[in-house]
Amino acid sequence: MGLRDVLPGGGTSSVTGGMFGDGSPAFLTSKIDWIINWSRRNSLWPMPFGTACCAIEMMASAASNYDLARFGMERMSFSPRQADVLICAGRVPYKLAPVLRRIWDQMPQPKWCVSMGACASSGGVFDVYSMVQGIDTIIPVDVYVPGCPPRPEGLIYGLMMIQEKIREESLARHFEHRAEDPNTVARPHANDAQVRGLSGPFGNSTQQEELSTKELGADIASSEDLIP
Amino acid sequence: MKSGFDAIDEGPHLSESPTISLAGEISDPASHPSVAALLGRFGDAILHHRVSSGTQHVVWIDPSCNLEILRWLRDDPDQRYDMISDLTAVDYGAGRPINVVYQLFSTVYKRALRLRCELPLDGLEIDSIVELWSAANWLEREVYDLFGVTFRKHPDLRRILMPHDYEEGYPLRKDFPLRGRFSRAEQTRRALNQAVEHSYIAEEMELGRDPQQATPVNGTQEGDAGREVR
Repeated sequence: MGLRDVLPGGGTSSVTGGMFGDGSPAFLTSKIDWIINWSRRNSLWPMPFGTACCAIEMMASAASNYDLARFGMERMSFSPRQADVLICAGRVPYKLAPVLRRIWDQMPQPKWCVSMGACASSGGVFDVYSMVQGIDTIIPVDVYVPGCPPRPEGLIYGLMMIQEKIREESLARHFEHRAEDPNTVARPHANDAQVRGLSGPFGNSTQQEELSTKELGADIASSEDLIP
Repeated sequence: MKSGFDAIDEGPHLSESPTISLAGEISDPASHPSVAALLGRFGDAILHHRVSSGTQHVVWIDPSCNLEILRWLRDDPDQRYDMISDLTAVDYGAGRPINVVYQLFSTVYKRALRLRCELPLDGLEIDSIVELWSAANWLEREVYDLFGVTFRKHPDLRRILMPHDYEEGYPLRKDFPLRGRFSRAEQTRRALNQAVEHSYIAEEMELGRDPQQATPVNGTQEGDAGREVR
């Protein structure tokens, strides 16, 4: 029993000159959602944004032992214009935040984002003046991969979760999955209240957080600390 | 009063001591040929001498003579300190002076020497030594960026690690709160509003330009404006 037997019309169709010779239908039926999602999830091109040790594990994932290409990530796309999924691997300082945001804005839809490791997801141990406390304050994130750094299996599992996410998408509801207001370009992804929630008391920074909010804008304008 | 790990929620404590104890042991200046020569030549400009970690000779010098002393150490045929391994600064907090540290090495005589200049907080200025060692250029920019020490006659004194428009102060000072002076939301907003190109001058923007490209990339003009941020 071959494919021609289960196709609509079977071997008894009156249409001639079909794809299998006489008697077979000249068309296949499927869902366009299924076709599109299948092709999208099996040809994800990652945009590597590696800044620290997580990037070493990301490179190991792409190398022959783990071979990310098995999952359709055949080519690391070093141009955001040709990329589908941004892998942010490593800590992101505030000075780098506009770069990350611009790369995300340059990627064409549909696009996804993996936040790899503790630092990218939450700031990690770097609860300091210079470090972004989770890249989800800057850009929307689909999958967070925990670990410090995560093993290649972890990253591959995260990317497979992206594939699972794509499998459930539908062209009819695309705005639910990837709504992005053009006005959000180069703006923070999280609002002020969310960011404040992220910087809750932690470790020995407790007192300093109070100091930070207390001194906000008060004496800094007149302080000699200002760079002329 | 809590101590150790129990006191972790109280944040760091400042020492009450008004003076810095000079680290290291007192030693005979004659045990290091350069120290003996410095004392003989500059006399009063050499303030203290200590030995740290067994072999590291540390000399405190008068900040107003730093250029003169360092030039002599580099050029004198018996000294020849031709390499500056490091240039950094230390803040001891509690209003005490900030120390600028020069770590020298002589590849001719295989000899190391550390010089320190104490700068009071109300006079954080010292002569630049870029004319002696070009390697000091970025190191002095780093000290300026993180401690706020101004280096006179530095050819290109602007921030190097922090954003060019960073307004929260000097992060490695002891009185700087660990998480910065602004709230996280404000820091995020400022970060995304910064023009990345403004952190670079025209020459640096030129380095990143594709040589095949006929016209300069956008932002080269803006890069010129970055020079004014001093």
